[in-house]
Amino acid sequence: MNADRWSSLFWFALGAAGIYASARLGVGHTGEPGSGFVPLTASAFVCLMALLVFLQSFERGQARSLSALWKGVYWRRSLAVGAITLAYILALETLGFFLIGFLLLVITMKGLEGLGWKKTLIISISTLVVSYVVFKVLLKATLPVGILGF
Amino acid sequence: MDFFANMITGFSVALEPMNLAFCFIGVFIGTLIGVLPGIGPVGTMAILLPVTYGISPTTAIIMLSGIYYGAQYGGSTTSILVGIPGEAASVITTIDGYQMALQGRAGPALGIAAFGSFIAGTIGIVGLQLLAPPLVSVALRFGPPEYFSLMILGLVILTYLAQKSMAKALMMAGVGIFIGTIGLDTMTGMPRFTMGIPELLDGIGIAPLAMGLFGISEILLNVEHRIKHEIVTTELKHLLPSRKDWGEAIGPILRSSVVGFFLGILPGGGAVLASFVTYGMEKRLSKTPEKFGKGAIAGVAAPESANNAAAQGAFIPLLTLGIPANVVMGMLLGALMIHNIIPGPMMIKEHPDLFWGVIASMYVGNVMLLILNLPLIGLWVKLLRVPYSILFPMILFICLLGGYVINNSVVDLYLMLFFGVAGYLMRKFDYEPAPLVLAYVLSSLLENALRQSLILSGGSLAIFVSRPISAGCLILAMLMLASSILPRIRDRRKMLVEQAEETA
Repeated sequence: MNADRWSSLFWFALGAAGIYASARLGVGHTGEPGSGFVPLTASAFVCLMALLVFLQSFERGQARSLSALWKGVYWRRSLAVGAITLAYILALETLGFFLIGFLLLVITMKGLEGLGWKKTLIISISTLVVSYVVFKVLLKATLPVGILGF
Repeated sequence: MDFFANMITGFSVALEPMNLAFCFIGVFIGTLIGVLPGIGPVGTMAILLPVTYGISPTTAIIMLSGIYYGAQYGGSTTSILVGIPGEAASVITTIDGYQMALQGRAGPALGIAAFGSFIAGTIGIVGLQLLAPPLVSVALRFGPPEYFSLMILGLVILTYLAQKSMAKALMMAGVGIFIGTIGLDTMTGMPRFTMGIPELLDGIGIAPLAMGLFGISEILLNVEHRIKHEIVTTELKHLLPSRKDWGEAIGPILRSSVVGFFLGILPGGGAVLASFVTYGMEKRLSKTPEKFGKGAIAGVAAPESANNAAAQGAFIPLLTLGIPANVVMGMLLGALMIHNIIPGPMMIKEHPDLFWGVIASMYVGNVMLLILNLPLIGLWVKLLRVPYSILFPMILFICLLGGYVINNSVVDLYLMLFFGVAGYLMRKFDYEPAPLVLAYVLSSLLENALRQSLILSGGSLAIFVSRPISAGCLILAMLMLASSILPRIRDRRKMLVEQAEETA
């Protein structure tokens, strides 16, 4: 199955779920539109367009297959960055701004990109210091302190 | 007299030390991200939205605007020296700019791009200054039906100009409107689609949405490729164009500035459209069209002037009607709304310091940009050598930090990651995120205008076609939709898009 067909089915299902959820909110009538009126219209429109994309996917001669989208690229690197980001969010409030920020920068620069230790440490520490000054000192933002206590 | 009084008000605001400093930060960052491929003005503005929470709305808009028009300047450097557009609006500059660099004329190419940008930027600001006040008086006659129809027209134009499929772009606009309805219904107070998460009662914030769709997703896509840049030249000579260069470029600069400005005003238009249209126009008008594509200086001057003038023109619908012409203006609208300022016809009276201060700051910013992009061009060339392996961890870290400090909540970070992954998949499957974000920003305005119109008319949809401005906008939108279906016009549109892609 080609990529457009898959994606249009996904959006159609999402649009249908939107219609169902909007209808439950109460659509009202044109004289007094309810809370679900606009989201229902938007969801129905998404379904309609998904149907159009689905039909168009039969027209094209050189439709891309699903696997072609990830062919010839380093998709594992994207996956790794996604996983590192998730780990950062999970550990942010426990480990605190400095520790988790340092780990994120070191893991991506050293672990993923293979930069030298000296370069990694200099860039990581200076990024942390500059962002601390901008967000904490200048903008008075609250940063999570975590186990380090600062 | 009003003109001078307004400008005195504007300059007294723009020249305040704090505003001057943030104007410089804005144009500096704008040039920086314009130079660096891989991150655009929308992503950067999203990342910097949290910074604007701690400063006054005027200062915030001065900085964010600086990023936008600064990126138009910076984008040309990468296009000319590397042959890769640093910014979408500089795609067309790559053709002749890179050829000029290969012929050892990178200096004049960069010089004319900077001077052309400066002249066009200034013409654009004068146009903005002159056109905005009369348009405000027209806008005061707009009621909910006119607003609704104009927003629909803006969304249709944006999707009409979509790089890939128009059906997909329209679908994304629908998704954006739906996402914009998440949270409390402003008219009834009923929670919608919050799934029991208290943080969603206020709706999904523009920062996690835009940072995810433009910041995180760009990183996820870029790390899939090993990005390496080959810079043509590092020794730049003769940045000041010769008399012959000026003779060839001044006509295209002036014409493209005017055309670019008006294309920028169009809802859904903007800098990208302006650069493509004026390049084609200058090629047709030229006595030596065969030189285009082989290093014609007019081929650099025209699009670079047009994209800067369009960047200024795009402020008109936002400042006068409160409707963003493109997704960048949508980000500015989001930033204003964070500060409880609703742009529109009343803004010029209620917040004259903001209105005229932002306009005056553009004059100041343009001068700063000329200095940044001519004497300091060497700095940007050096920056082009910073590898993406160093840049992306820093961008990722700043995204995550900025996303957290808005509400001190990890829920925003989960949302950002969610939209980052969604944006990555959307781009893989050729669904553009720009219509989604613009529709999301317009969603509450659109919903209120629709519901108010229907209540006014007692439920009759005829209200949208019985009022001339509203009917005109809807007819135009329908014509554009119809034209995208008609095979001949569709093929022509497809051909134009393919040409643009080949160029890129």
